[in-house]
Amino acid sequence: MPLILASCLTLALAAFALTRRRLLWGVVGVGAHSLALAGVFFLLSAPDVALTEAAIGFGLVTFVYLLAIRRTGKLVVVATPAYPLLYQQGERIQGLEWEILTRLGRHLHRDLELIWTSRAEIAPLLRSGEAQLAAGGVIPRPDEGLPTRPLVPTRLVLVKAGPGRVGAIRGDRGEDHLPAGGQLFPGPEELLQALAQGRIGGAIVDLLRLRNWHLAGRLSGAEVTPVQEDLSFHLVVAPGEEELAHALEEVLGEMEKSGELAELIRRYLA
Amino acid sequence: MRWLAGAATLSLVGLLLFSSLNLSPSLQAPELETMAGMYGVRNAVAAVVLGARLWDTLFEVLVFAMAMVGVRIALRPLGRAQGAPPVPESHLLSQAARLLWGPIAVFALYLAASGHLGPGGGFPAGAILGSGLLLLALAQGTESLAQRVHEGALERLEYAAVALLLCTGTAIAWAGTKSPSWFVAANLLVGLEVAIGAWVVLHRFVAHRGEL
Amino acid sequence: MVLAVLLAGLGLFTLIVRRELIFKLLALNVASGGASLFLVAMARRAGPGVPILGLEPPPAADPLPQALVLTAIVIHFATLALALVYVIFLTEHRHSQDVRRLEKEEE
Repeated sequence: MPLILASCLTLALAAFALTRRRLLWGVVGVGAHSLALAGVFFLLSAPDVALTEAAIGFGLVTFVYLLAIRRTGKLVVVATPAYPLLYQQGERIQGLEWEILTRLGRHLHRDLELIWTSRAEIAPLLRSGEAQLAAGGVIPRPDEGLPTRPLVPTRLVLVKAGPGRVGAIRGDRGEDHLPAGGQLFPGPEELLQALAQGRIGGAIVDLLRLRNWHLAGRLSGAEVTPVQEDLSFHLVVAPGEEELAHALEEVLGEMEKSGELAELIRRYLA
Repeated sequence: MRWLAGAATLSLVGLLLFSSLNLSPSLQAPELETMAGMYGVRNAVAAVVLGARLWDTLFEVLVFAMAMVGVRIALRPLGRAQGAPPVPESHLLSQAARLLWGPIAVFALYLAASGHLGPGGGFPAGAILGSGLLLLALAQGTESLAQRVHEGALERLEYAAVALLLCTGTAIAWAGTKSPSWFVAANLLVGLEVAIGAWVVLHRFVAHRGEL
Repeated sequence: MVLAVLLAGLGLFTLIVRRELIFKLLALNVASGGASLFLVAMARRAGPGVPILGLEPPPAADPLPQALVLTAIVIHFATLALALVYVIFLTEHRHSQDVRRLEKEEE
């Protein structure tokens, strides 16, 4: 009976470990699996093997894995596309923020994985630890993790194209300024379409997206009034990842000091 | 890819299950007296490891030593970890390590020395000694521990252990039966080799990746 | 016995499916544990006793597979350390441990 119990535990731990997305959980799970396996060996009347498995599988192997994944884990970035800051052109990802992120990846020897998502999804993904960084023209709200120093100044504006309700992007800072009866949209594209088709009369967006709409020639004759000044775009580090935030600040500080950051801003936002 | 993996897994599982179910229901019980008694030891596993399959074991130790050489060489071009963070001072951990290190070392020694009589032997002893070193390294910081060890001397000791082990193995093969004292020597050497190997891995990884 | 087969199967499946090198190594770890368990379970079929003279009444487990597994575990640790060194090497030089991406870069 104890043998069956221990066997089930071993199998469950192995399955747990191998289905994790985070390396750390996988390593810890396999360590626990090794310990349970040692118990099974002992119950199968092989004390020599059990001793060895416990000492090596649980102690040494786990430690060696931990050292190996120290800086090799993937850095998951969640983002919404925001034209000169972070965008995809064919297969290539480009943008001002991407340059900073790749610099950070090289600094930490970690691989970047970019996941496109909607603005409203960013905060929960950061909180659950599934992503370590958020990018793509984020104006962080106060409870959204650890923002870096301001990268690019911006402001929120109200674009009035006609009579009717006002719309904003769900999860965006514009949502806070939405008057009663306002409508929320998952992304800037849907917002612009609704505005262009006259389903809503106005929209609260940041200057960057407004500029993109103008540049694309898809918005004309709208009246623009400022809603909130003194905002800026930041990169946001997930709460609890103080070390990562510190490293990112370091990278940014270096880029600022060498004038590289100013050069990049001029190149992308001229 | 998933289909391929599923098919491979299923065929393996099926093959193994089929073969294990088709085994003859009664396996002949091994004659422990003849196996162990031949070498004058009581632990039949030790009799197999150092007696019947002696050369297998010796060359596996050689493989182990080779892998350690590989770790040394392959990590060299990576460069040292810069600015390793200071080891967090944990009073509990350091006290526990100081308290436990002695018993762990003695236990490992006991396992190696009595491996021919009861459960134990060189491999578990070395692994446990390695784990003890790991505990000590976690508590005091690997670098500070490494400063007390002469690197070159340790390397020479490792190679000496392998060489001595080969000699001991030859002695066992020659003198063969009824000489458990050779077993003690061989077990101690195997334990020493495995423990040094574990330390090499720990130290090298920490040196190139930074303290944990 | 069934557990051993399942473990080996799970390990093999993950070994093929996951793209991260470290997860592949973890899967290898589990698969080798399954193989060891298979051998130890086979040895146990000979008898329930510990294979040490005078400790338990005779029909004892077969010491030979146990001895094989004993060395296999230690060797696995050594080769694992070596494999991890190469994973570290790849990550430092290619900034990736994703097999598919590494292959693409190679082309």
